[in-house]
Amino acid sequence: MKYTTFNQINNNPLTEPMFFGNPVNVARYDQQKHQIFEKLIEKQISFFWRPEEVDVSKDRVDFQKLSDSEKHIFISNLKYQTLLDSIQGRSPNIAFLPIISIPELETWVETWSFFETIHSRSYTHILRNLFGDPSSIFNDIVENEEIKKRAADISKYYDDLIFATQLWQTLGEGVHTVKGVTHTITMRELKKKLYLCMNSVNALEAIRFYVSFACTFAFAERELMEGNSKIIRLIARDENLHLTSTQHVINLWAKGKDDPEMAEIAEECKEEATEIFLNAVEQEKEWAAFLFQHGSMIGLNKEILCQYVEFIANHRMSAIGLGQPFDVKSNPLPWMNNYLSSDNVQVAPQESEISSYLVGQIDSEVSADDFGDFDL
Amino acid sequence: MVDIKHHKTVQHQPNKSLLETIEVHNIEIQYHCREGYCGACRTKLLKGEVEYKTDPLAFIDDNEILPCCCFPLSSIEIEID
Repeated sequence: MKYTTFNQINNNPLTEPMFFGNPVNVARYDQQKHQIFEKLIEKQISFFWRPEEVDVSKDRVDFQKLSDSEKHIFISNLKYQTLLDSIQGRSPNIAFLPIISIPELETWVETWSFFETIHSRSYTHILRNLFGDPSSIFNDIVENEEIKKRAADISKYYDDLIFATQLWQTLGEGVHTVKGVTHTITMRELKKKLYLCMNSVNALEAIRFYVSFACTFAFAERELMEGNSKIIRLIARDENLHLTSTQHVINLWAKGKDDPEMAEIAEECKEEATEIFLNAVEQEKEWAAFLFQHGSMIGLNKEILCQYVEFIANHRMSAIGLGQPFDVKSNPLPWMNNYLSSDNVQVAPQESEISSYLVGQIDSEVSADDFGDFDL
Repeated sequence: MVDIKHHKTVQHQPNKSLLETIEVHNIEIQYHCREGYCGACRTKLLKGEVEYKTDPLAFIDDNEILPCCCFPLSSIEIEID
C-alpha cells in the first residue's frame, strides 16, 4: 500500500492496529487506542534535558589520571554508545513511522527518537571536552571491528524491515525481482519482520547499554569522570522508558490486545525472539572481554560484568514472556541501582525549568576553604 | 501484613511504598527508577489488593504489581523473582 502523509479515508483510529493498518491522518490525542503511549510521551517530555547543562570540565583532569587500560575502557564505551544512539536516533523513525497506524504511537516513536538524538549530541559534548579534536574517536567507530560487528547485528533487522516495507509500498504484495534478486512480499512476512525487529530493538534497549553504564558508574563510584556519569544517568533514565515502550508493544501483541495476527506470529517466532536476546547477551559478554583486554578497573572485572548482564537479561526476558534462562539470582552490582534510580537524577525544579542561565556557570571546583565562614 | 513467599512475613510500614517496606526488612529486591516507569521491581501478587498513588507506566501482567509505587490495601502475599 502506497504511503500517504495525510490519509484522506475517514477511518476510526480507535479500531486501527498499531502497525500495518491505514496510515495516520489527524494527529489527535484526545482519544487513544493504547493510552500507554500518550502517557509515555508525557513522561519522556518531562525528562527533557540538554547536554550543555552538565558541566564536564572536571572530567578532563580526571581523564589524564586514568591508566591506559582505563582510558581504553572509557573511550571504547563512548564509541559503542555513540554507535547505539546513532542507530536509535534514526531507525525507529525510518522503520516504524511508515507503517504505524495510530497517532499516539506515531508521536511516541518520534519523541523516543528525538531523545536518542539528545544522547548522540551529549557524546560529542563529552568528547569535545576531553579532546581538542575528537575526530579520530568518531572515525574509529566505522573502522573498529568490535563495534562494526555489533552495528551489523543491530541494523540488520531494521534494514530488513525497511527494505521489505519499501517494496510493499511501491509494488504491493507479490513476488518482485529487484536487480536480479527475487523477494516475496506478503503481509504475513512483513509482520514477521516487524516482530523480529521490535524484539531486536527491545534487546538493545534492555541490555546493550548496560555494560557501558556499569563501567561509567564504576568510575563514578571512585569519584572519577563524574560529569560524564551525570550525563549517562540522564541517558539511562530515558533508555528505561524506551525499554518500557518496546515491552508494551511486544506484550500488547502477544496478549492479543492489538492485531490478532501478531499474537500468532509472537507464538510462532518465540524461539527466534529468544535467540535474538541470547545473541545480544553473548555479544555484550564479548564486549566486556574486549573492554578488559588490557586489564580491568577497580571494582569491576569481566566475570562480574558478565554476571550482571545475565542478571539484567533474566529480568528483561521474563518481562516479555521469555523466561529466566540464566542462573544468577542476586544482583552482582547492587550499587548500580543507586545510579539508575530517578531520585538521584532530578535536579531542583527551578533548574530543570530554566536551565539556560546556568550554562557554564556552575563552579565544579569546591574546596574546604569555601565553607570557612559557614556556621551551623 | 506482607507475606513474602520464600522469605518471611513482615509488617507494612505506614506511609511507605511496598518497596520501601521490603527494603527496611533487608530483603533483596531489584529496582531502578522507583517511579513506576521502568518495571525493574515487578513482583507477583498472590493474594490481597494494592493501590497506586501514581499511575504505573511500566508493563505489568494482571497478576503483577510494582512495589516502588504501590501501597497495600489489605494483607498481601507476594513472590519476588
